[in-house]
Amino acid sequence: MQMPDLAAHGVPTPPMLRHAPEGVEIAIRNLGRSFGGQRVLVNLDLDVAPGEFLSIVGKSGCGKSTLLRLVAGLDRPTSGSVTVGGLPAHEAGDHLRIMFQEPRLLPWASVAENVAIGLPRGPDPRAVAEALEQVQLADKAGFWPAQLSGGQRQRAALARALVSHPGLLLLDEPLGALDALTRLTMQNLIRDMHDRAGFTAILVTHDVAEAVALSDRVIVLGQGGILTETRILRAGPTTRGSAELAAIETGILDAIFAR
Amino acid sequence: MSLTDTIKPARTRAGWRPGLPPLQALLPYAVPAAILILWEIAGATGLVRETVMPRPSVILATAVQMMLTGELFTHLGVSAARALAGLLIGGGIGFLLGVANGVSRLSETLTDSTLQMVRNIPHLALIPLVILWFGIGEGAKLFLVALGVFFPIYLNTLHGIRNVDPQLIEMGRAYGMNGRRLFFRVVLPGALPSIFVGLRYGLGIMWLTLIVAETLSASSGLGYMAMKAREFMVLDVVVLSILLYAALGKLADTLTRALERRALKWSPAYANA
Repeated sequence: MQMPDLAAHGVPTPPMLRHAPEGVEIAIRNLGRSFGGQRVLVNLDLDVAPGEFLSIVGKSGCGKSTLLRLVAGLDRPTSGSVTVGGLPAHEAGDHLRIMFQEPRLLPWASVAENVAIGLPRGPDPRAVAEALEQVQLADKAGFWPAQLSGGQRQRAALARALVSHPGLLLLDEPLGALDALTRLTMQNLIRDMHDRAGFTAILVTHDVAEAVALSDRVIVLGQGGILTETRILRAGPTTRGSAELAAIETGILDAIFAR
Repeated sequence: MSLTDTIKPARTRAGWRPGLPPLQALLPYAVPAAILILWEIAGATGLVRETVMPRPSVILATAVQMMLTGELFTHLGVSAARALAGLLIGGGIGFLLGVANGVSRLSETLTDSTLQMVRNIPHLALIPLVILWFGIGEGAKLFLVALGVFFPIYLNTLHGIRNVDPQLIEMGRAYGMNGRRLFFRVVLPGALPSIFVGLRYGLGIMWLTLIVAETLSASSGLGYMAMKAREFMVLDVVVLSILLYAALGKLADTLTRALERRALKWSPAYANA
């Protein structure tokens, strides 16, 4: 695979640094993962630049969640390697954070205590308050997760993921279970946080419109590898609904269904 | 970002059962009070003879008299101490084994099938053997109570730990928790509701076992008090000891419930209980 053309969408590429100050780079080489005899990923190569927002789409069962779990270090490859900021994925530790489809908050811990789980070096009330402020949940710090709405829970999970200022945020269909309006709110919030903090982000989603709205690059996964790759130039704020984005979306959908 | 403000406010209470107004808090006591009154009337009018069932007022007088001599407190204290000691020993071992078998596959493989075999023996069937082993001393009672309490606590602890949401455990691991921290922050709190079910169930078995053990072989305690009274046909003491068992059982259950409500206050099921 060719190195991505970063200049095309305005991401700075310091040639000497392996870590950009905010985001970490990801290098996936020759990656394979089989379950039993079934080969889900085959010889996959992929580079993600520091600060890039990459989305992975594809039919269900195409291996997109498997790929994300491998990057997260929650699963080990059958062959090949995944490095995050130069380290093997399972050793990347606090450099990376993951957001799941479900909020996965501890029901017996307050919202603030849940956010504090994201801090590797023990609780830090100021950092927690700041993270809750960013997701507009400052007034819910003392609530139990059961007292929050679905969208608020997912925002608390976002605060937990970002409170340690990670270099990489992995998103495993985090908005899939939300209603349409809350979903738009969350998309804007995630995009905002990304612009501000500059972490690298990988989003797995089945919603092509969401992938196009959020990312700098969308890859379509299928038959164990990358089918197509689409760069999205982002000039200013999200231009949701523009004809240009709609065309991109159609192109990606065509690739998924191999029309 | 104006969309963010439109997220609907949190629902604080998940109550499908309407709460009771203050005065109706006394409602659970209405039926027992009515029974006492009817019972007293039936006794006083001679409908039920004293030799069959003494009246509540007679039992109360006996209770007061036995309190004054201190006899009642001695027996009560002995029974309560046996119950508590048996609960701590049996419940403690049950909890620890439940945790060990919930966390370690090796430990489970080694012990679980043996425990399941022992579980199917009614523990009261061991009484003849236990009397041969321990005589009628404290050991026999402690052994039986501990054995009876062990299984509900063991099984429910194991079940609770097994059924902790695996997604939460994965989240904990992804956020760098392992070993002790994962256990105390995720696994144990997740198993707690089930452990409480085991505790409350175990308390029931604790009293049951103690009554049987004290009735069969003891030289003190409520069961002994009842048996001695039976020999001398002192019916009011027999009924008194039965009522005391009921009161002690209810007290233990109330304390556990209060503890449960405190420990599980995060759960919507307890939010307005």
